[in-house]
Amino acid sequence: MSDAAIVREASPWWRSRRAGFLIAALAIAMLPMVLTGSYWQTNLTVCAINVLLALGLDFILGYAGQLNLGQSAFYGLGAYVSTLLITKLGVPFWGAFVAGVAFAGLAGMILAMFAVRLRGHYLAIASLGFAVITYQILLNWISLTQGPLGIYGIAPPPPIAIPGLPAISFRNPVALFYLVAGFTLFAYFILDQLARSPIGETLTAIREDEVSAASLGINTAAWKVFAFGVGAAVGGAAGCFYAAFVGTLVPDAFFITESFTILSMVIVGGMGTLIGPVFGAILLTLLPEVLRGIGDLRLIVYGLALTLVVLFMPGGLAQAARIVGARLGLTR
Amino acid sequence: MTATIVAQQAINGIVLGSLYVLVALGLTLIYGVLVQINFAHADFVTLGAFAAYFFMHTLGGSYLASVGAALIVGTVLGWAVNVAIFAPLRQKGSELLPLIATIGVSVMLQNAMLAWFGPVPYAFETPYSQRVFRVAGTFFTLQSVVIVVVSTGTIALLYAFMRFTFLGKALRAVAQDRETAGLMGINPNYLIMLTIVISSALAGMGGAMLAPVLVLTPFAGASVIVKAFAIVIIGGFGNVEGTIIAGLLVGLIESFTTQYLDPGWIDIVVFGLLLVMLAFRPTGLISERREENV
Repeated sequence: MSDAAIVREASPWWRSRRAGFLIAALAIAMLPMVLTGSYWQTNLTVCAINVLLALGLDFILGYAGQLNLGQSAFYGLGAYVSTLLITKLGVPFWGAFVAGVAFAGLAGMILAMFAVRLRGHYLAIASLGFAVITYQILLNWISLTQGPLGIYGIAPPPPIAIPGLPAISFRNPVALFYLVAGFTLFAYFILDQLARSPIGETLTAIREDEVSAASLGINTAAWKVFAFGVGAAVGGAAGCFYAAFVGTLVPDAFFITESFTILSMVIVGGMGTLIGPVFGAILLTLLPEVLRGIGDLRLIVYGLALTLVVLFMPGGLAQAARIVGARLGLTR
Repeated sequence: MTATIVAQQAINGIVLGSLYVLVALGLTLIYGVLVQINFAHADFVTLGAFAAYFFMHTLGGSYLASVGAALIVGTVLGWAVNVAIFAPLRQKGSELLPLIATIGVSVMLQNAMLAWFGPVPYAFETPYSQRVFRVAGTFFTLQSVVIVVVSTGTIALLYAFMRFTFLGKALRAVAQDRETAGLMGINPNYLIMLTIVISSALAGMGGAMLAPVLVLTPFAGASVIVKAFAIVIIGGFGNVEGTIIAGLLVGLIESFTTQYLDPGWIDIVVFGLLLVMLAFRPTGLISERREENV
């Protein structure tokens, strides 16, 4: 038994990080070919957007240990800021994208500054309040957002022209999926780098024991603000893509319920791992589509899943996979 | 004329404020003793409201008896959430897991109620809603009087319980130091259970009182809870006196904002106050002697 452990190589090639990204890129490339038809291709893009949202929340909740109930607001800010810049000021899509992401990230940091000196609960409530008022502002600032009437006819990102090849138009749902999923993979890569760097270790130290972390000279408040900013910015990016993908913006898409949905994805997937929320988001996005019958009961299922996972498997799918893997002898 | 408007809005604000205090007190009690948040508190309010509605309109009970029915429903819900969530998660010692689990309960309850009762508001008529008093140009219903009297009475009872009974003293001991209280022969688990049950009973009762004045839908509680959270922070988490003052303050802010600005501004003003408090007085309006919880 122990011999086998010694003989085992450091790690098989297929479990290295590079291989993981390669497999993910291949999967993204293959999916629209396997799941044909506009119904599934639409769902694929929804999945990619939800994965992005869940990754952003997980960075705040899973790594820095701060509960952000305002992800719906950062999502909405990204969507509305980018769209308004495009439609009202004629800013090009990618410029508006950067502005939307930056605005959401800054909003997250400013919000966090108010509550970081206190216990995690305060930040949770402050972010909940922020989600409520952001929704109220989107709904009531009619001269800017058109309130409940919504903004219609938002154009998809402009086509990308590569010399020598036909221009890639994002009116094609597959191209749009590649764009969103490609960005999501990029965001995953960045967050993974951050999480495995000393920054990630600092955040984990704060999550595990804030007082000890502070006693080691870590500026816990500043790092919590940083984590909040990164997670909110990722949520903002999801919002920019959402607007371009759906073509319509109404405040109801960014109601607090959306925060709870994203939270369910992170918890069900497994907070504190990046791969868990990816699968959590995909599972909770596709489950209601597969089980058509539960349609209206979707949120009841999310709530139930949230509670049961916290009670019985707080590490979510990631923990479950580790347990099953250990049983089968695949992991140490 | 303006004096009358101000007086009228002050009355409205105090009525709303007493409702908010009833809801927020439960949150603050649980926080004081457990340092935990029951996110499903809002839905206990809504379920209490529906219990009262059906007790009165379907079973034909009197309004005051239906308030009692809501209180019982709240009690049962509080017991259930303690057994299912708070007690098992206490061993894990995590700060956020119980909060997340109760968010799940809240999402579940709210959408179950939506599936069951539908989104159309229920008209909760009580015999007291029709009786209107006019005093010096202002007017208020008997329902408002009932709300203020029952809230004040309940708060006074709760206060007396905390100050003058042995159980109340034990409860405060657990809030200050759970381990030491345990060494003194107090059973913390029992007292924590008692706190959650009392808080949830208050929530259920609050629902029965709130539904006739606000709109009764599956989201009735959720619309109040964000303000209740704000009240709890403004008053200082775990601080009963602070919560009462902050509750009345938010009630007044709401009525005056409606009068002089626009109802759409209420949440924004309340939230602005919350941020100001977090920035300058994070321990709440009354901040002495509660340091142990922050």
